[in-house]
Amino acid sequence: MISQFFVLSQRGDHIVFRDYRGEVPKGSAEIFFRKVKFWNDDEAEEAPPVFNVDGVNYIHVKVAGLFFVVTTMVNVSPSLLLELLQRIARVTKDYLGVLNEDSLRKNFILVYELLDEVIDFGYPQTTSTEVLKSYIFNEPIMVDAGRLPPLGPAAMFMQGTKRMPGTAVTKSVVATEPGGKKREEIFVDIIERISVTFSSSGYILTSEIDGTIQMKSYLTGNPEIRLALNEDLSIGRTGSSSYDYRSSSGGGAVILDDCNFHESVHLDSFDIDRTLHLIPPDGEFAVMNYRITQEFKPPFRVTALIEEAGPSRAEVLLKIRADFSANVTANTIVVQMPVPSYTMRASFELEAGAIVGGSEHTLRAKLTFSQESHGNLTKEAGPVNMNFTIPMYNTSKLQFSVIQD
Amino acid sequence: MSGHDSKYFSTTKKGEIPELKEELNSQYKDKRKDAVKKVIAAMTVGKDVSSLFTDVVNCMQTENLELKKLVYLYLINYAKSQPDLAILAVNTFVKDSQDPNPLIRALAVRTMGCIRVDKITEYLCDPLQRCLKDDDPYVRKTAAICVAKLYDINAELVEDRGFLEALKDLISDNNPMVVANAVAALAEIQDSSTRPIFEITSHTLSKLLTALNECTEWGQVFILDSLSRYKAADAREAENIVERVTPRLQHANCAVVLSAVKIILLQMELITSTDVVRNLCKKMAPPLVTLLSAEPEIQYVALRNINLIVQKRPTILAHEIKVFFCKYNDPIYVKMEKLEIMIKLASDRNIDQVLLEFKEYATEVDVDFVRKAVRAIGRCAIKLERAAERCISVLLELIKIKVNYVVQEAIIVIKDIFRRYPNTYESIIATLCESLDTLDEPEAKASMIWIIGEYAERIDNADELLESFLETFPEEPALVQLQLLTATVKLFLKKPTEGPQQMIQAAKDVVLAEKPVISDDSNQLDSSLLDDLLANISTLSSVYHKPPEAFVSRVKTAPRADDEEFADTAETGYSESPSQGVDGASPSSSAGTSSNVPVKQPAAPAAPAPMPDLLGDLMGMDNSIVPVDEPTAPSGPPLPVLLPSTTGQGLQISAQLVRRDGQIFYDISFDNGTQTVLDGFMIQFNKNTFGLAAGGALQVSPLQPGTSARTLLPMVAFQNLSPGAPSSLLQVAVKNNQQPVWYFNDKIPMHAFFGEDGKMERTSFLEAWKSLPDDNEFSKEFPSSVVSSIDATVEHLAASNVFFIAKRKNSNKDVLYMSAKIPRGIPFLIELTAAVGVPGVKCAVKTPNKEMVALFFEAMESLLK
Repeated sequence: MISQFFVLSQRGDHIVFRDYRGEVPKGSAEIFFRKVKFWNDDEAEEAPPVFNVDGVNYIHVKVAGLFFVVTTMVNVSPSLLLELLQRIARVTKDYLGVLNEDSLRKNFILVYELLDEVIDFGYPQTTSTEVLKSYIFNEPIMVDAGRLPPLGPAAMFMQGTKRMPGTAVTKSVVATEPGGKKREEIFVDIIERISVTFSSSGYILTSEIDGTIQMKSYLTGNPEIRLALNEDLSIGRTGSSSYDYRSSSGGGAVILDDCNFHESVHLDSFDIDRTLHLIPPDGEFAVMNYRITQEFKPPFRVTALIEEAGPSRAEVLLKIRADFSANVTANTIVVQMPVPSYTMRASFELEAGAIVGGSEHTLRAKLTFSQESHGNLTKEAGPVNMNFTIPMYNTSKLQFSVIQD
Repeated sequence: MSGHDSKYFSTTKKGEIPELKEELNSQYKDKRKDAVKKVIAAMTVGKDVSSLFTDVVNCMQTENLELKKLVYLYLINYAKSQPDLAILAVNTFVKDSQDPNPLIRALAVRTMGCIRVDKITEYLCDPLQRCLKDDDPYVRKTAAICVAKLYDINAELVEDRGFLEALKDLISDNNPMVVANAVAALAEIQDSSTRPIFEITSHTLSKLLTALNECTEWGQVFILDSLSRYKAADAREAENIVERVTPRLQHANCAVVLSAVKIILLQMELITSTDVVRNLCKKMAPPLVTLLSAEPEIQYVALRNINLIVQKRPTILAHEIKVFFCKYNDPIYVKMEKLEIMIKLASDRNIDQVLLEFKEYATEVDVDFVRKAVRAIGRCAIKLERAAERCISVLLELIKIKVNYVVQEAIIVIKDIFRRYPNTYESIIATLCESLDTLDEPEAKASMIWIIGEYAERIDNADELLESFLETFPEEPALVQLQLLTATVKLFLKKPTEGPQQMIQAAKDVVLAEKPVISDDSNQLDSSLLDDLLANISTLSSVYHKPPEAFVSRVKTAPRADDEEFADTAETGYSESPSQGVDGASPSSSAGTSSNVPVKQPAAPAAPAPMPDLLGDLMGMDNSIVPVDEPTAPSGPPLPVLLPSTTGQGLQISAQLVRRDGQIFYDISFDNGTQTVLDGFMIQFNKNTFGLAAGGALQVSPLQPGTSARTLLPMVAFQNLSPGAPSSLLQVAVKNNQQPVWYFNDKIPMHAFFGEDGKMERTSFLEAWKSLPDDNEFSKEFPSSVVSSIDATVEHLAASNVFFIAKRKNSNKDVLYMSAKIPRGIPFLIELTAAVGVPGVKCAVKTPNKEMVALFFEAMESLLK
């Protein structure tokens, strides 16, 4: 099973290091870091999440710019370890409020206490913040989230966008408020990741939604909650020819291709009234994950145009049209477009601010290159990626209402 | 609230340890707690605070759980280095294990199990016995894991005290968490034993299936993985198991889903009803696809597994090819895997869609991905005859883009397409010839030349084309040279100007003979390996696509439930083999524990074993068993396995270069795990840096099944030198009369070349050192090497012809000066710097021959291991 667990900073410093079985030779963290930093294989330049060096298996994920790593000597389930690493990160975040190098270092004793309960002799025991509460005695030391240095441009490249901090909740689940007052709050969010491919003529080629209903509960006494979803919700596409979109043309019913649920969810009446019953455990968790390929209307239309304007210059024209109703507004919009690697300078004009439904915005940028482009400018620039939040709007039309008895 | 813990890191005053000592003995509880925190902080940053052992242990007697945990954390870390002092803690442990607070009872047992000191282990037994029967489930589940800990330290003790039976009883526990941990512990114990310890009966089966519904996600994985060892009696039972497991597919935890998929796939083998199978396939598809919405790391694992699943059951995902289309922001490792699966799922029905995708990928920026996409088009052409033409037209379109590496890659795959469909698509040769000048990669060149040679009679100016390549013939790599030779001969035979017709006919029969048809390689795993890997779905094995034996060194393979007795494992004969680096890294004996791997051979059926019981027992009890050698064979330490029996169809080859009495030998051993007698062994070495070649014939008598032979083959150097930068690579080919030729790689240890004449006088050493310019000096750190005693190191190195000259002391470090010499009079002047007993040796070397330095460091590092 798991031999060691460690957390490394982006520079390779040990932040947390715990050896559970004492069977991996010394220096494994350094070996891991060197291997990941200088991964060079004939196929890929980025280290896969699972690899083996001299008989030691290294499994890692990147969370909040940190490497969460486990090592093992045996043939175990890597998906278990990957899930566990994500879960450890989440539990730590539940406890510390924010997850970063600073908060881990300040709370190292609490983190070690957590690790001892989460893993015993390399076997995962529990990762439920709720259960852990009764075994953990150290109090978290809060790090002020506001003072944190922003991750900067690096944040855009971080993978795992599915669990974006949709909620601005950076409070510890366990820490008591300074005034001793306990908050009676529950946050429920629908977070959807939309992937749409347009053809050059503007038709949608593929479209997919990966969604999560995320919950973070600060309720005392763990009351039962009912979460009612759309009544006409159906699961599973009919027929084998899956991509004909026939099913969605009418009604407006939400059809999920597949979904799964958190273990605290009881599905007894789900088939009848599409209601989930659960006693939300403390901490942040995904009540339900779902996947939709039925046709939907993407919230934005993005058109990008890049044109040569001289031997070592180009002009970029990015148009964004908001295809949703005018009474909602999208904010925290990040539009990202890679430019050729030999670009020296880019200058902008931008109409900034939030985007109101129905509006259209244009960005013009002038690029200056250090060398002449080779004619395939369009291939070396792009594709455009866009991150946004539209409060009170979701593409899939999945809805819920929370009912507390 | 205790303020910022990080302040504990900032004590930098001089007398830190005495100060801590004082605080640890303070009369105030809070002060003591703060002091222990400081100690732990120092410990985690690697400072040695072991001298505070007694003082910290004194703080153990407390009701404060927070403090107790800290002390325990300290104990786990330092008990091993202070075993005598650790005994001081035993009484508190035993007392704590009877504390009214279940948390303290569990904590005591958990910590004792982590202290790997023999004397403590004896005291652990009684508390463990009690805790296994504790009223509190938290204590019982901790005790269950503790049994596995104890087994790892002292297996005999566990069996004598009946802990295994107690553990089995816990399978029927009413708390699912306890059941899950008991299962995990039993599975681990089973893995390190060859005796059947944990057998699932139909009774335990129903217990486990019940617990499955209630325990945590992690527990579910333990239980599912142990269920996968169970072999259902008949189709009905299999259906029953599958029915109970199927709901797990809806779980949000990917590990649970994959483990469930494994069981369903295994049980499906037994299910005869095609309706049920079809239905199951249908049920598995959506959860498998959903795995691809997880984090990219999990996607990668899922894709590697799906790769195996579609090879066995292509129907499951036959209609889902679209979900494997690459997203532009997928990490490259995910893209590569998706591409593989797209090729596997490509069919006449969806090929147009797939080709459109591939074409798109082939115009992306990432060169490696582009190349792979072009290859993928070629593989589809070879796989789907009816789509070949469309594939070719896509390739031609890509060639027209004139991006150099795309063109070259396209030509390589077109050559394969020509091989697969001879005399069908030559019309495009003219187009290919247009790009002739741009080819600069050997493989592309060779492919183009092959095409010209093969169709020489239809290319009007074939002779001119070939001639243009011949100008640079001497500079070309062997691959291109060989292809040029063949093509020229083909050209001559097809368009003979003059010459004896008879000879030409004879040559034609050979050179232009019909070639065997090549086939689609997208289902490249052979079926027995595939089955082996499918049985390991959701494990590392299924990610690496290698059987567990290939990379796991610590654990002995358990006999499969269907194996008769120990025949399977006993028959192969055990040899100590160091773990093999899976990604091609060099073999090394990395594990701290002694590794003893029975090389399991799934392909070789059981043969009568000489002494199965004895061997089986030895395997179960004793880790230090010696390899089974032929009585006449030269003895010596076990050799590294270079050709595992899984690759060698049962034949295992271990070998190493050694130096004996001034001569170099290849110490080689053959283990015959096949069912037939193997004879007629021959060996050949590829060109290498030192020009090593066999100095005589390989003397191996016919090998009976199940036996092994070891021999010393004399070697000569500077026979077939390879040009280029020095490398330690030694490529070896071995053949016998019964099997195909086996190829494997070995490393040349440079120290085998260190001559007996390498000793230098002090004065000549100094002169030589001074006479060499400074840029001939190189140095390297060996962080893991330890010099435990100067004399022993000197003696050890002298045995390998590294001769001691002088030494001096530099503060707390010793500096040794030594010399060595390799043939052709190349000396190495060596300076070793190390502190005795502290890991880390600095090696500086001066030599006239700079190129050899890298190999030299490699050799020194292995000598100083």
